[in-house]
This record gives sequence, structure tokens and C-alpha cells, in this order.
Amino acid sequence: MGKISKNVVLALFLAGGLVLSSCSNTPSDEEMKQLNDLKAEVSSLEKQVAEKQREKAALEKQVAEKNGKLQQCQSDQEAVKKGLGK
Amino acid sequence: MKTNHIFSLILFIVVVMLFNITPLFAQEEMTKDQWQEQMTSYKAKQADLQAQVTKLNADIEGLKVQSSKLDTDLLTCEDALYAMLGVTRADVEAFDKELAQMENRVAELQRMSDAELVNYKDELAQLDSRIKEMAQSKICLIPRYGDRVKALQDKITALMNSIQKEKTYTVGTWGQDRDCLWNIAKKKDIYANAWMWPKIWQGNRDIIKDPDVIKPKWVLKIPEGNELSKEEKSAANRYYRNKAAAPAEAPKQ
Repeated sequence: MGKISKNVVLALFLAGGLVLSSCSNTPSDEEMKQLNDLKAEVSSLEKQVAEKQREKAALEKQVAEKNGKLQQCQSDQEAVKKGLGK
Repeated sequence: MKTNHIFSLILFIVVVMLFNITPLFAQEEMTKDQWQEQMTSYKAKQADLQAQVTKLNADIEGLKVQSSKLDTDLLTCEDALYAMLGVTRADVEAFDKELAQMENRVAELQRMSDAELVNYKDELAQLDSRIKEMAQSKICLIPRYGDRVKALQDKITALMNSIQKEKTYTVGTWGQDRDCLWNIAKKKDIYANAWMWPKIWQGNRDIIKDPDVIKPKWVLKIPEGNELSKEEKSAANRYYRNKAAAPAEAPKQ
């Protein structure tokens, strides 16, 4: 009987050791929090980039329109000069 | 002795299995290597995105500066243009506003039938005279205004022509076209109203002696207007009284 319990204790130690050694291969809660924070930051940055791209596109369109108007005005000046016979 | 060893081995296997089975019921756990891999990948993404944001911010700033410079350049250019013409920005804005209002009105008039348009003859004459005055303005030297004024002038002229020219209708056969004064007046491009037939009759008294008798190939004048005059109404009443007194007959041709 004493031998049996000795063997049982040994088996439990061995099994526990094996389980504990496998547990230490997973990241800690602190590390998981670090990863989740990083993911959240990346997601927020992606949104920021999309928003900035939209803002840039709108500004590019605005600039193109203004350039067109300016060119139109310059050609109007030429036409008026001609019309006035200058 | 041997039984003890076998018992210990079974216990060992059972304990290990119990510990290893529980994660199967729980969420799949990440290994440290996977964590490290994801951290590296997300850090690279973060750095890339931050660089993109920085670049986009710089681009946006540059575009804002460019846009504001263009505003100034445009104002300067327009001021110089108006100064050449001896007009102010307010003059040009007022001209543009009036022109736009006239364009809208002419578009409304263009949607009317000739018969409806006759009621707006005076308005068309006013529009015509105003557009001629506007065509004399120096603002019309600016091509976009000159072109718009010219186009509007053409439209007004076309509208005036369409109500001034005398409309005619060549009578077809009863067998094929079912042409009688009632049916002619009912046509969409004539009056779109059958009760207007006395207007055609009275407008063609020289050839129509009896309104029930019209002949194929006659060219009838279609007088302007969308309602009957006093004379036309009384002629129609006379006709209906006579008709009531006499027995009904089919239209003759």
C-alpha cells in the first residue's frame, strides 16, 4: 500500500510538472493586454489613414477646380483685352 | 509490484489527459511564439500606418496652402478683369443673377405649347428687349457671359417666331384620318381641345361655309389662342341651335 501511494504521488508530480511546463508556453495576461492594445491602435490608425485620404482627395478636387477657374479667368482676360481692342 | 507500476502508469496518463483535454473546451489558446509573431506583425503595421498618417498630414497641409494661394490669385485675376471692363464684382454678380433668372423663365416658356405661349407674348417681348440691352453690356465681353446671352437671345427669338408664324393644317380624308373640325381641334398639336373647333371655323370662313363640311387637301389656318372669342362662341351657339332644330347627320366631306 505504501508503495502504491509513493508511486501515485510520483505519477501526480510528473503529470503536474508536465502540465505546468506546457502552461508556461502561453503569453501572460499582461502580454495579451499589450497585444490587444496594439491591435486597437492599429485599427484606429487605419481609420485615421482612411479619413485623411478622403480629406486629401477632397482638397485635390478643390485645388483642381480652382486651377481651372484661374485658367478660365486668365483666358477671359485675354478675350476681354481683344474685345476692348487693347 | 508489477500491478503497482501499471496502476501508476494509468494514473499518470489519466492525469495528463485530464489537464490536456480542458483547453479543448476552453478558447483556443495562443502560444508564446504566436503572440510574438503577432506583436511583430502589428508593430510593423503600426509603424507603416504612422508613416502614412505623417505623409498624409504633410500632403493635406500642402494642399491647404495651395488652395488658399489659388483663392488669392483668383480674386486678383477677377479684380483685374473687372477693372478692365470698368465694372465691379457686384455688377457682375447682379448680371449673372438676372441672366440665370431669365434662363430659367425661358426654359419654362419653352415647355409650353404654342397655344399657351400666345398668352405670354408680352412677357416674351419684354425678355427680348431686356436681353438685347444685356447684350450691349461690357460684361458680355467675358466669353462665358457673352455665350450665355447669345444662347438666350436665340431661344427667345425662336419662341417669338413660333407664336408669330401662322399655323396651318391640311385636311385629310374622313375615311383615313377621321378629319372633321372637332377632331382637328382635339389634336395635341392643334388645340388639344375639341371644343375649340369654332375657332378653326371662324378663322377659315372664306372656305368653310358649313362647319360640317370640310374637304380633303384644304389648308386651314389655325388661329392663335387657347379660348374662344365672343364671336366664336356666338357662332358656335348658333350652330348648336340649328343642329338641335334639324335631325342629326353624319359628318360630310
